[in-house]
This record gives sequence, C-alpha cells and structure tokens, in this order.
Amino acid sequence: MKTIILSTAIRLLTPLFQVFSIYILLRGHNHPGGGFIGGLIGAIAFVFDTLANGHESTEKTFFTLKVYQQPRKSGISYLQHYLQFIRMNIQRKKEAGQLDVQQQYCIQLRPVYLMALGLFIATISGTISLLLQQPFMTSQWPEFHIPVLGSPGTPLLFDLGVYLLVMGIILKIVFTLAKE
Amino acid sequence: MIFIVLAGFITSFLAPLLYRLLGRYVYVPMVLLPLAIFVCLCSFLPEVLAGQYVQQEYVWVSSLNINLQFYLDGLALFFALLISGFGTLVMLYAKGYLDDHPLLGRFYLYLTLFMTAMLGLVMSDNIFSLFVFWELTSISSYLLIGFKHKNETSRTSAWQALLVTGGGGLALMGGLILLGIGNNSYTLSDILVNNGFISHNLYLPALILILLGCFTKSAQFPFHFWLPNAMEAPTPVSAYLHSATMVKAGIYLLARLSPLLGGSEVWQYTLLLVGGVTAVMGALLALQKTDVKAILAYTTISALGLLVTMIGLNSELALEGMLVFLLAHALYKGTLFMVAGAVDHSTGTREVQELYGLGRQMKPVAIAATLAGLSMAGLLPFLGFIGKELLYEAALEDPAKELLAFAVTFIAGSVFACIATLVGYRLFWSKSTNSSPVKHAPGAMLYLPPLLLGTAGLAFGLWPELLATPILHRAAQSITGNTELLLELTLWHGFTLVLGLSLLTLLVGLLLYRFLPRLHQFAPALEAIYTYGPNNLYHKGIAGFLNSSRKFIGWLQNGYLRSYVATIVLTFSGLVLYTTFRNKPELALAEYASLLKNTELYEIIIMILMVAGLIFLMNTRSRLTSIVVMGLVGYSAALFYILFGAPDVAATQLLIETLTVVIFVLLLHKLPAFTYLSHVGHKYKYIFVSVIFGATMTYVLLFTQQHAVGSPLKDYYGQASYLEAHGRNIVNVILVDFRGLDTLGEITVLAIAALGIVGLLRLNPEKGGKR
Repeated sequence: MKTIILSTAIRLLTPLFQVFSIYILLRGHNHPGGGFIGGLIGAIAFVFDTLANGHESTEKTFFTLKVYQQPRKSGISYLQHYLQFIRMNIQRKKEAGQLDVQQQYCIQLRPVYLMALGLFIATISGTISLLLQQPFMTSQWPEFHIPVLGSPGTPLLFDLGVYLLVMGIILKIVFTLAKE
Repeated sequence: MIFIVLAGFITSFLAPLLYRLLGRYVYVPMVLLPLAIFVCLCSFLPEVLAGQYVQQEYVWVSSLNINLQFYLDGLALFFALLISGFGTLVMLYAKGYLDDHPLLGRFYLYLTLFMTAMLGLVMSDNIFSLFVFWELTSISSYLLIGFKHKNETSRTSAWQALLVTGGGGLALMGGLILLGIGNNSYTLSDILVNNGFISHNLYLPALILILLGCFTKSAQFPFHFWLPNAMEAPTPVSAYLHSATMVKAGIYLLARLSPLLGGSEVWQYTLLLVGGVTAVMGALLALQKTDVKAILAYTTISALGLLVTMIGLNSELALEGMLVFLLAHALYKGTLFMVAGAVDHSTGTREVQELYGLGRQMKPVAIAATLAGLSMAGLLPFLGFIGKELLYEAALEDPAKELLAFAVTFIAGSVFACIATLVGYRLFWSKSTNSSPVKHAPGAMLYLPPLLLGTAGLAFGLWPELLATPILHRAAQSITGNTELLLELTLWHGFTLVLGLSLLTLLVGLLLYRFLPRLHQFAPALEAIYTYGPNNLYHKGIAGFLNSSRKFIGWLQNGYLRSYVATIVLTFSGLVLYTTFRNKPELALAEYASLLKNTELYEIIIMILMVAGLIFLMNTRSRLTSIVVMGLVGYSAALFYILFGAPDVAATQLLIETLTVVIFVLLLHKLPAFTYLSHVGHKYKYIFVSVIFGATMTYVLLFTQQHAVGSPLKDYYGQASYLEAHGRNIVNVILVDFRGLDTLGEITVLAIAALGIVGLLRLNPEKGGKR
C-alpha cells in the first residue's frame, strides 16, 4: 500500500492528529473525549503512518531520538563541554556530517515503555492523596489555573496515564503484527 | 514470645547467607538458636510451674479478630521445650548427616523455619495464627521431604504429604472458624473456658472438620499413608518432623481442645476407633517391613494411634498416660531414627536383613540404640516403662471400653517390644557373618545427639519425680482444666496386675521377634491387599483427577476462537433466559409498538443498510469484503449512538471500528486462501447462536427500560461531578474519578492482555518457535 500521495499526506497529517488527540485528552473532563479516546486517536495516527510507510519508518521518525556526543577535549571545562553538547544536538543537521558514526547514540521510545509509563503515571496520580493522608485516589485540585488546561488536578494526570497506556498497547500490537 | 518467633524466622532466612559466609561452620549459629530458645523458654518455667500462664497479644486486624496472640501454659511450654530441645540436637545431627552437602544452608533454612512454625503453633492463642503456623509446618515439611529434589519419589512423596496435610489444614480452618462462631470468640483461652459447646448446633460440623485436620496431620488411618512415604526425607528430618514433633501437632490440638470438644460419644468413639485401628494396623505393618526407617515409621503411626486412643478414653488417667508416653516416645523414637541414619550413613544400607552385629565398629551408636530400645520395649528403669504402665492403668480403668483399649495397647506394646529387640539388639549385638561392612565409623556429631537423647530417656525414668513430674503435672492440668489434678510419676508401683501385663507384653514381643524372619517371608503374599490401600487409592485419585481435567480443558479450551465465543454467548443467553423463564416478568410490547410510529426516515435507511450488509456478509467468500462490510455495520451502529445522544460511546465505537479494520488488513495477507472446509451446517449453527444472542440482548434492553429502577445515583453523579469533581462530562468523571480504581484495574488488565497478545504473536510456530 505504498503510494506517494498517501505517504506524503500522512507524514504531514500525523503531527496534526497528535495535536488533536491531546486536545481530545484535555477537553475530556468537560466535553466528550478523554484519555481513552485521545489515546486511540493518537495511536491510529501512528498506525496510518505504519500502513503508509512501514513500521521501521514510523519508529525511526517518531520514536527515535539521535544524540551526538563528542569526548571532552582537554582544556575545556565541563560547563563548556555540556553547552557544546546541547548546541550540537539542537543544530544537528549542520554538524552531523562532521561526526563519527560511533559517537551517535539512539534513544528509542518503545511502545512497551509507553505502556509502563502510562500505568506508572495512573498509579502515581492515586498515591498523591496518600501523602496528604487521604484515602487512595482522592482527587486533588490545585488552586492555580493554567490558561488552556484549567486547574490541573490528579484526574487529569490519571487520564494522561490512560492515554499513554492505550497508545502504547495499540502501537505494540500493530508494530508486532507489521514486523512479521 | 514474639521475639522467639521473630528470631526463628529471621535466622532461618539468614541461613543460606550464613552458609556462604561461614561455609560448613554454618551449623554453629543454627545450633545456638534452638539452644537459646530453649534457655529463653526455661526462664518461663518458674512462672508456669507455679500454676500460672503467660499471655501476650499483638493486635493486627482486630475487627476480624485476627491477632497475634501467644499463650504459654503447662501444655504449651511442655511442647515448646520438647521442640526446641530436640531441635538443638537435630541441628547438630543434621551437620553430621549432611556434612558437606552443597545445599546445607537451604536445609537449615527449612529446618529452622519448621521449628519456628511449630513453636508458634503450640504457643498460639488466636485460632487464625494457630492455623497460619499449622500450614507453615505443612509447607516446611513439604520442602524438607522434597529436599532431594532430583529424586522423583522424593518429589511425589513431598507433594503427597502437602496435599494430605494441607487438605486437612483447610478442613481444620473451617472447623476452627465454626468453633469461633459457636463460642463467639477467636481466642483459644477464652473458648476453652466455655463448657456448653457440646450441645451447640455447630458442634458436630466443627468436630468433624477439626478431627479431619488432626487426623491428617497425625497420620491416622486412613490418612496414614503419607508418613511412610515421607521417609524419603533426610533422616534428621524424619527424626524431628515425622516422629517427634510435627506429627504430634494433631495430638497437641486434640489434647488442647479436649475439654471443649471431649465428653460426647461421637468424640470418644471416633477417637477410640480411629486411634485403635491406626495403632493395630501400624503395628502389624511394621512387622512386615525390612527397611529400618519404614519399620520405625510404621511404629510411629502405631504410637500416634495409641496416643489418639488415650485422648479418646477421656479420663484424667488416660491423659496423664498420653503425656508420659508422648515424651517417652519422642525420646526413644528420635534416638532410633538418628541411629538408623547413622547406620545408613556408615554402611550405605537400611535393610535389616543385611545388618548384623555392628556394635563393635560403632560403639556409641550401639549404646544409644540399646538405651532407646530398652525404653521402647518398656523395661524397668526407663521412661518407656512408666509410660506403658500408665497406659495399661488407663486402659483398664473404664470397664465399658476396657477390652478395646486393652487390646490396642497390648498389640502395639508387643510389637514395640519386638521391634525394639530388632533395632536395639540384633542390629548391633547379634553375631553373624553376612553383615554389610562398615565403610567408616560415624563421627561425633552423628552419635552424640542420639546418645544424649537415649540417656535422657534413662534419666527421666530413674528420677521421674525430679525431671518429668513438674512440667507434665502442669501440662495435664492445662489439658483437663482441673487445677487440683495431681500427677505423680514413680518408677516402681509394686507387684500389681499392670506389672504382670507388662511382663506378658515383653514375652509376646520376644516371641514375635523369634518368628520375625518367617513373618518377613509372608509379607509379599499380602501385597495384593495393598492394591486397594489408601496409598494406591490416593495415586489413582490423583491420576484420575489429572486425566479428567486434561480432557475437560482439551474440550473447553480447544483453540478455536469461534467455539469460545459461542460458549460464552450461549452460557450468557442460557442464564438470562432461565432467569426470565423462572420469574416470568411482564413485558408490555404494545407500548413499544406505538413508538415505532415515530421512526424517522434516516433511521430506516441506516437500518436497511445494516441488514443488507449482514445478509451480504453471510454469503461473501472474500475476506477483504467481509472486513469492509463489518466496518460498515460498525460505523452504522456508531451513527445510531450519535443520533441518540451518546457522543462518547460513538467516538469510541468509530475509533475501535477503524482499528479493527486496520489490524485485520495487516493480518490479511498472512492468511491462506478462503475456503470452506467445514460442513455448511456449521454456518447455520453459528447464525442460530447469533440470533439467540441478539434476541436475548434485545429482550433485556426492552425489559430494563420498562422496569427502570429509580435510583438516586443518577442525580448524585449529576450534581457531584460538577460541584465536587469539577467536570461537566459525567461519563469521563465517573471513569477517572468516582470509579477511578476500577479504571486502574481495567487498564492494568489491558496492559497484561497486550503483553499476552504480543507473546502469542511472537511464538511464530511455523519458524520453529515453541507451540
């Protein structure tokens, strides 16, 4: 199913889908939406990308971060070295050609990590109330407001956990299926 | 007392670590622990001997009455001293027996764990903690029997012991809870003061369950078969668990509960009958065996039966006799087991027909064996003699049960005398040329513990007033609850009837010994009986159970998704239809008929689309087409949700449909070409199942709408979700806030299911993966 039109369109649309899915996640508390639906939308966007471009491409584009590193030269302070390190990674395209292959590191975000992170966040959102000596999963609402979000309470954190988990599960299954 | 138990648990789990640190010297701390516990327990002696008791309580779940309560009176202290004192010797002996075994640390872990559990068991005052310790002894016994885990018989025996004693443990828990309900208290010392329980409704069920637990633990007929098989364990374990302590747990509990449960006829006759049968059967079986450990195991069963019989007699004299015999038995039987282990260790065989006259090569062991043998046979200056005298006195006391009790005691006593001669005399002192050679003389750690124990049997017999009377006196008092009861042990009673009976027993025993070789020749002829014995029945039962469950699983979990779905759907519909058929609720269909008039055109169009799609689906032969049509049906359903005002559900439905289609498409090219392999009739079968399910669901929906339950929940959620949970979308607020814990559970299940699916996908049987 590799057509240029589809793959180009999908490549452009996927970030848009992601923004939309986060929007759905955030509005869930007051309007139709929520973590489950948002996670499904986000996952479907990546699944379409997998259909159009293959799963290697999806994983490489959206779930892998390349980090370039240089050994610290003598005569350069640690601060300077790390500043250089950060700059190098932000302006990566210009300097990538000059670097050795050995000095590249890949940070890959696997769907299983998404699942684990989601479950972790959802559980943590419940334990916050334990610290305040209230029963498990008593929702906490901070006083301040953030312009778009409203008051970010622990239910939102819980929803975020559901979102990540659902996305991780679907991606894991689809990637495994596509691999064979 | 909590410190004793805690120290035991902590040290036991440190044992493997200590082994790594200290190597073979790990035995030093492991021997010191029971010794320290013994000394610590001795510090309670003055208080308990003065007729008082010690009580300690640590509240845990007080609303359920599950607390850690300890109670130390005469009986508990007697048992605790026996366990810790014996434990010290066994720990030392285990080092001599296992020597450089690579898993010595683990062995000490299990053994110490067992000792602690057993101490906890006898000191527990709360029935739940009693049960926990009880099961812990079963589990540690399982681990110890299976210590030689590379041996298949070891594993089978361990499993058998766990199943039998664990099953009995469950029955015991039921019985104890009934006891607690009936007496309105879960503290043993409170329960025991209550006298009227015998006439309570719950008495009989509680009694039966508790007896089941005690009989399985104490290897009473017909549950005795696990004990001889448990001899697969290393000999220190057999000496400690399966002769001196663990098997006496049932006896302990029976004795402890006898003031509460005893006195009824059911109690008396059950105990008399079961104990009597066990004692006689164990004695007769012991005569037929030629393996020293098996002989000792069967005499242990016989002795346990005798103890149960004595509890069943329910007189004060019988209880006293029971206690003295219990102590004497623990002393001599432990010694003999250790002797058997030492002989096994140095000659490599346990067959009595190959062992003669070993006395010269292993003198200390031989002396220990002789001392124990004399006590077992019931000769004059030994504790065994006093025990037997008391047993006879108790047996002859009650004319109604005289014959049965006397016969049991007499048969068991004669066989004990015979076995004692065999083990204490023939093994070591008889002269014969065809004996197995002694490969190496046993070390000090192998002969010191039995020698000490054997000497203890003599010392207790020589000075009973001094050593045994005080504690046994208080123990007897705490069993009967009678504080004026006097227990005085003396060695010499004068020339009485009982003394004559004792002598007769000895004579019969010697006669039996004379004809023992002939009995051994007869033994194989009796094998046919054992095919229907409890042991074989057990194995057949287990095999049958495994077989039938395998068949059942094969039938239920056949690997066809369609039959899983059909089973679930049919079960559900069947249950719903059964309930409606039984209750015959009214459903006014006429009301709904009038609603049909309001149907809009677009609803009819979607409806027609769906029905047409479904009919097409049933006749199509292309997978892609069926998937697309299924998607069409799903999207139409989502449209319905939108039309009837459920945007959340509709959104979820749309997304799930999309994903289903995508996943199907991903899988599509891997499937073989679409062909009908099965009969056409199958198709109609599944159509029929679907129609039934659809009809049931429609009926349930119509019905629930007509009989809506007025509930304040809807209003409550409507208000609280905005005021308290700060959200206007009730569905979502319920999901993430009100029922957040449910959602947390669901997403956990989802994650686990996803991992399972990935695991299944990765198996890939075609490429040589595991199926």
